[in-house]
Amino acid sequence: MTNMLKNLLGWMVPRLQSKDDEHLNPYFTFRDYRQIWGMGIFILTTTCLLPLVVMTLVYHQLIERSIDTESLLRTERLASNARRAVTFFLKERLGALTFTANEMGYAKLSAPDSLTEVLRNLKLGFGGLADLSVIADTGTQVAYAGPYNLEGKDYSAQPWFMECQQHNACVSEIFSGYRGVPHIVVAVKSMRPDGRFFVLRATLDTERLIQTLAAFKTGEHAELFLTNREGVLQTPSVYHERGSNHSSIPVPPFAERTRSLLATSPDGQPIVVGYAFITTEIVPTKFILMVVKQKTGMMKVWLDLGRQINWFFAASAAIIGLAIIMTLTFMVTKLFQADREKARTMAMAEQNCQLASIGQLAAGVAHEINNPLALINETAGYIRDLFSIKKQYQEDPELVELIDSIIEAVDRCGTITRQLLGFARRFDVQTQQIDLNSMVADVINFHKKEAEYRNIKIHVDIPETIPLIETDRGKLQQIILNLVNNAFQAINNGCFLDIQATMEDPGHVRLSIHDNGCGISEDHLKKVFEPFFTTKKEGQGTGLGLSITYGLVQKLHGNITVQSKVGEGTTFVITLPVQIEKDSES
Amino acid sequence: MNLLLVDDEKKFASMLARRLELRGMQVTVCFSGEDALEAVNEKKPFDIALLDVKMPGIGGIELKRRLREQYPSMKFIFLTGHGSDADYQVSAKEGDGYLPKPLKIDDLIAALKQLDEGV
Repeated sequence: MTNMLKNLLGWMVPRLQSKDDEHLNPYFTFRDYRQIWGMGIFILTTTCLLPLVVMTLVYHQLIERSIDTESLLRTERLASNARRAVTFFLKERLGALTFTANEMGYAKLSAPDSLTEVLRNLKLGFGGLADLSVIADTGTQVAYAGPYNLEGKDYSAQPWFMECQQHNACVSEIFSGYRGVPHIVVAVKSMRPDGRFFVLRATLDTERLIQTLAAFKTGEHAELFLTNREGVLQTPSVYHERGSNHSSIPVPPFAERTRSLLATSPDGQPIVVGYAFITTEIVPTKFILMVVKQKTGMMKVWLDLGRQINWFFAASAAIIGLAIIMTLTFMVTKLFQADREKARTMAMAEQNCQLASIGQLAAGVAHEINNPLALINETAGYIRDLFSIKKQYQEDPELVELIDSIIEAVDRCGTITRQLLGFARRFDVQTQQIDLNSMVADVINFHKKEAEYRNIKIHVDIPETIPLIETDRGKLQQIILNLVNNAFQAINNGCFLDIQATMEDPGHVRLSIHDNGCGISEDHLKKVFEPFFTTKKEGQGTGLGLSITYGLVQKLHGNITVQSKVGEGTTFVITLPVQIEKDSES
Repeated sequence: MNLLLVDDEKKFASMLARRLELRGMQVTVCFSGEDALEAVNEKKPFDIALLDVKMPGIGGIELKRRLREQYPSMKFIFLTGHGSDADYQVSAKEGDGYLPKPLKIDDLIAALKQLDEGV
């Protein structure tokens, strides 16, 4: 199990940089592979997932908007249907009462037993009526049919009686009245032949009305009920304030037509409220029909689809992310390995070249030391000869001259040895103040004899205004030596070599090494700094000299360029900072 | 024995000349190929010439070729200080003898004697 986890981690996180590689750091093309890996993952993941995220968000927005529109529409339709049913229920009963009052007239209706007959017929024809009574214009009940005998009761002070007197008909709110049973009073006013009026009044069961409303209830999430205009519940509902019969849904503003709106229920659930103010053509009522639907329950299908989309998004993102991480890990690891291989080769090549330079140097030194040694040899030999052959003794002034000659020859050897030590110091990596003039002179000195034999003129022009430059001595020496070597190989006897220094700007020195040798063709010019590029015969050149020179110049934060024309000569130009930044010197 | 010694290292040449003179030889010293040609013109031809291979101007090999044209009987010994294989090969091929610097005086004397007796 642990092994599997380790394997998986190997696929997800690139293995980069080991401590043995630290000496290779300057040769790497890229410094921070972990950063490349991280940036790659970030950029690719962002690019791949952004469209997916935007699409998902847009989809959710669309769903939400269509859910809102759809739920408002559906709620409004339901409210509209329910309103028609409630209005019809009331209108039908008002119509029946109007017909009865006008058809039968006051005299017939107030006759005993006749009202009971009428009630029976109305119950048969319409239903939902509890009792029936006839009330004279004085407000006194003159006839009654029904379970409670309330004959002789005076209704003149009741609000519905007054309203009926005014509007010819009325529909009361639901109230319990004398009986303690919730009921609605509907009444119509009719004229008697003598010009006075009477009122025919019926009590309606609320049960019938509640059932009518309940028939419209669709699903568990809908709730239909009636309130009056003050928000007092007329039919039972779950949306009532605790301990009172007030609706917990605020009373909506008056509207002629059915309306719907989005709201929040007292317990924080999003709800859709549809409402209609109930008005019959005969008389307006105090009822408001309320339809309340829970949005979440109502749109469950849509929300489920949304959740599925979210899951799809999450799964896609995970797969894309995993694929990106694994691909990048693989590629960055391969890139790192290739770069490390290249760095190793470069490091080895530079070391080889250094060894080659040391060999070359040793040969040059041996040759230079040979001449003074030959002189020491002859001088010392002559002294011995003087003793053995000529029998001359001490205090001979010639002997002093001879000893001086030996000392001078030893001094010459010493000078060469010092120069050799100066070269050896190039392996130090500390920066120091360097006089360009004396360094160029040092390098030229090693080629002095060859230049003399081959009749090559070396012209050095380094003005005194060139400041001391702070850089790595050994590396700069190797750069100049490599370039001078190159020039010597390119030129024929009798040609010249021109070394010049100028200030490019106050911070940079420009050193140009110009020869009038064979030149480099345009094709080759592009490749001269490439490793292993050489025009020499196999086995005679490694093709590393200029490549390493290039690397060394880079290390000194400098820049090297080359210009050449076949047959006319070649110019290498090195630009070096007067002061090297210490932090990046490795 | 009448010798011509040509070497651009002046002190070395004078010192070697003195040592040879101590041993009873007649030595004319020149410090360049050009001087040597003049010296040969002024004086009679020499028995043996000791020539440094590498010299500015006319080198040892070139000088030998010119002298050989004029005086076919002259012998030549090359002195090489450069230490490269190429110099040894050329001087061995061109000269009647060759010696590396620093010299062993006995080797030089032996070579001179051998050539002199050959004459």
